Amino acid sequence: MNRALKGLFAVIIMIAACSLAYGSVFDFSRLQKSIVEKTLPNGLKIIVLPRHEVPVVSMVTWADVGGSDDPKGYTGMAHMFEHMAFKGTDEIGTTDPAKEVLLMAKEDAIFEQLRLERLKGDKGDKRKLERLEKDFEKAIADAYALIVPNAFSNKLENEGAEGLNAFTSKDQTAYMVSLPSNKFELWMALESERFLRPRLREMYREREVVAEERRMTVENRPMSRLLEEFLSTAFKAHPYGIPLIGHSSDIQNYSRSAAKDFFDKYYGPNNLTLAIVGDVKPEKVFELAEKYWARVPSKYKPERVATVEPTQICERTVIMPDKAQPIILMGWHIPDETHKDMPALSALSSILGSGRTSRLYRRMVRDDKAAVSVSAFSGWPGSKYPCLSVVFCYPAQGKSASECDKIILEEIEKIKNASVTPEELERVKTGTMTGLIAGLKNNMGLAQNLAQYNQIWGDWRALFGELDRINAVTCDDIQRVAKKYFVKTGRTLAVLETAQESEK
Amino acid sequence: MMKFNHKTFFIALISLLLSGNLVYGLDLSSIEFPALNKIELPNIKKIQLDNGMRIYLLEDKTLPLIEASARIHGGSYLEPADKVGLGDLMGDLMRDGGTQKWAPDELDEMLEGLGASLNSYADVISSGVNLMMLSTKKELSVELLAEVMRRPRYDEARFEQAMIAYKSGISRRNDNDASIAGREFGKMIYGSESPYARHAEYKTLGAISRNDLIDFHKKICRPDHVQLAVWGDFDTAEMLAIIKKYFGDWKKGTEKIADFPKVDYKFDQRVGFVERADSKQSNVYLGHIGGNTLDPENSHRIVMNNILGVGFGSRLFNEVRSKHGLCYSVYGVYTSNISYPGKFFCYVGTKGESTIKAINLIKSEIERMKTEEATEKELKSAKDRYLNSFVFNFESKGQIIQRMVYYDFFGLPKDFLNKQKEEVEGTTAADVKAAAQKYLKPEAMRVIVVGNPKSFDAPLETLNNGSITKIDVTIPQ
Repeated sequence: MNRALKGLFAVIIMIAACSLAYGSVFDFSRLQKSIVEKTLPNGLKIIVLPRHEVPVVSMVTWADVGGSDDPKGYTGMAHMFEHMAFKGTDEIGTTDPAKEVLLMAKEDAIFEQLRLERLKGDKGDKRKLERLEKDFEKAIADAYALIVPNAFSNKLENEGAEGLNAFTSKDQTAYMVSLPSNKFELWMALESERFLRPRLREMYREREVVAEERRMTVENRPMSRLLEEFLSTAFKAHPYGIPLIGHSSDIQNYSRSAAKDFFDKYYGPNNLTLAIVGDVKPEKVFELAEKYWARVPSKYKPERVATVEPTQICERTVIMPDKAQPIILMGWHIPDETHKDMPALSALSSILGSGRTSRLYRRMVRDDKAAVSVSAFSGWPGSKYPCLSVVFCYPAQGKSASECDKIILEEIEKIKNASVTPEELERVKTGTMTGLIAGLKNNMGLAQNLAQYNQIWGDWRALFGELDRINAVTCDDIQRVAKKYFVKTGRTLAVLETAQESEK
Repeated sequence: MMKFNHKTFFIALISLLLSGNLVYGLDLSSIEFPALNKIELPNIKKIQLDNGMRIYLLEDKTLPLIEASARIHGGSYLEPADKVGLGDLMGDLMRDGGTQKWAPDELDEMLEGLGASLNSYADVISSGVNLMMLSTKKELSVELLAEVMRRPRYDEARFEQAMIAYKSGISRRNDNDASIAGREFGKMIYGSESPYARHAEYKTLGAISRNDLIDFHKKICRPDHVQLAVWGDFDTAEMLAIIKKYFGDWKKGTEKIADFPKVDYKFDQRVGFVERADSKQSNVYLGHIGGNTLDPENSHRIVMNNILGVGFGSRLFNEVRSKHGLCYSVYGVYTSNISYPGKFFCYVGTKGESTIKAINLIKSEIERMKTEEATEKELKSAKDRYLNSFVFNFESKGQIIQRMVYYDFFGLPKDFLNKQKEEVEGTTAADVKAAAQKYLKPEAMRVIVVGNPKSFDAPLETLNNGSITKIDVTIPQ
């Protein structure tokens, strides 16, 4: 007991010492001053942080378009286009640019007929379908014969690219790569070209790749299946509820012209941001941006999603029977990332379910032994629009999801009744500061953060404002947001219940 | 009908022509690559204490952080066969179970109060501790490392908690087809009893006591097994003095621990098969035993990997994914270790209806590596990818110092990486073909398929790959 008290005392002293050190530990303002930005006349924004310690540079092209922007009937199109952006340009990726256009047109024409016939379902003409499918396969093979596979990616990888990749989320699509810094101009040239003259070759094969990606990341994974059910239940109106990778039938229905329409609408330079961190000189970056990106014409700035999720008026529950072991997750509706309540909600989530000192970990994993893992997070599945605060939990062997559900709700109730302790809140603030400092170690991570804050807040400086925002949160704020947002009627609950084969 | 046909063709053609109807102006060949700035190799100070503990120090004052990683020789390969899981538990609880000075809760609160991270682990051949914290607490950072390594508490309640987590882990291990495939393939290559592939069962966990953890820790965690690397915001002399204060009086171990066990491998053909009635996609691994990093052809194999199955430009990616659209993920790689042989393996996840087709495509690409020389373009691309990205081996201080620790442990020369680079530069198409002929054996591969056989495009027998064994993955109670 004595030892424990002594330890606790030591901890309190250390926290006090640490809070004194806020701000003086690292001078973010100096770093902030070294970041430069420029916007070209066509609307392309470029953010540069020069760092010359190692001759490498990380780049991200950040598109303000994500799964929430998928057109009706084309769920997953934002993600599909991300795949297509690696297929090259008019000239890169083919042995015969002119002939390829003809062969691609033939593919498109046959597919259009096939698509319409397929849409007739059982009433479709089977013989015609068979013939069209055969023709289609041949047209794809003919077009493929002119292709230089993965030519675009190879140009970068052969020059030493690391981490060449992309991701699509509900709010954005990002294209990443790091290069030895002497190859920087090559990236500027290739990246501008692919968003100036992308050629959507291999469209129909790539749909099959995406269908496999869906099987791998969703259909074959119990947790992902549960997440899809959860989101489509929590969001009835807003597109945060539709699957990011798309429904299988929509994937099969994608045409090249639908992908092209999507590109035309969302990939204007005024909807893109380049964030560059590493061994480059900003003047040189801007000069090259002028040279390569000024060629890309501006487009209409696409509008934001108009649909607002209506207030949820009753608790919603999904029970998914599955052979897998139980999983439970729940969520409450909260505002978008820039709302004034978000720092308090984020602190609330951390105190509830982040780390070994969090309330849910201590109660459920350490004391009651009801769960093996529990975590809480605010700002999911996106944060550009009003989103969710969620709790995920894997019950311990032999424990049920309903036991876990009960405990989670009890712990949230405690915060509503008595808020959190100053020590808990202090830990969140310190964690935010060290997280921000540790995040500076990695060029690519930093580039992505700058681009993301620029997109969501309209200014990358908001990244460094994160500290001030979290430091302003009080224990009372946390109690207030807990009461305001964690309401019974606004909750969605999803449970994977272990079922025997015969029950399914 | 014909009319309609022409119309859609025409519209599609026009829209494509329009999209390409802009000024062409990209001339990639005119882009010049200036010489890359020289990589400044940091000056790492290496010291050995009297008790045999090796220290590596690297000052880096760019951020107010201290990072450390301790590599401890000895891991789960040393656990008794009837106590599988002991190594992992010892590794996790070294830190999670608290220390003599700090009870687990105190330790958690202190670390999170400082925004610091401290983790311990054990893998097959080694164990370790990793730390990151603000440099305002230099002495505390070393004291934490010393407490965790020298005086772990192995708290009873945390032991019980970890046991529940491990047992729950077993109950969940068949929830993901891809992990079943990886696990069972490992056992097919090294043997299900091998320390390089075996895994815990309820029974082996049930045989482990808290005292076993304490004894196992004592056996491996001792100064002559420890290489401690510290980098970040400190002065070397000051840091060394602190380290000596906390580790200088640590007594050297005397008992010799066992060497890495040998792998007894005979090349043959086998198919292992796990039936999953609900499966939406088949998960497949195929391959055989791999090699040693010190094999004379290791650099040739690096080039071979890039041609066959690593990266967007590889043959497997081009053939199985791009050309045939059979998968999202496909790759193939010949791996090497110094401690024990690596694996040669290819992976593909493909719908049931293309399972056999995908396996055969991969197999024929492996065969082609042995029969055909790579084209000049393929060779250049494979080498360029390695050589041009070489600078990324020096991107972070942590990477550089941890590589030095690894080389030092296995007695590799300091310039091992540069030698390897020179060898890759000199690799010819004939070298790659010779390496493929020596090391790849498509005629003697072991294959694991996890999926729903009712959906397969052909029976597994048509693979003509030796005996087919149905693997029962039911969890023994």
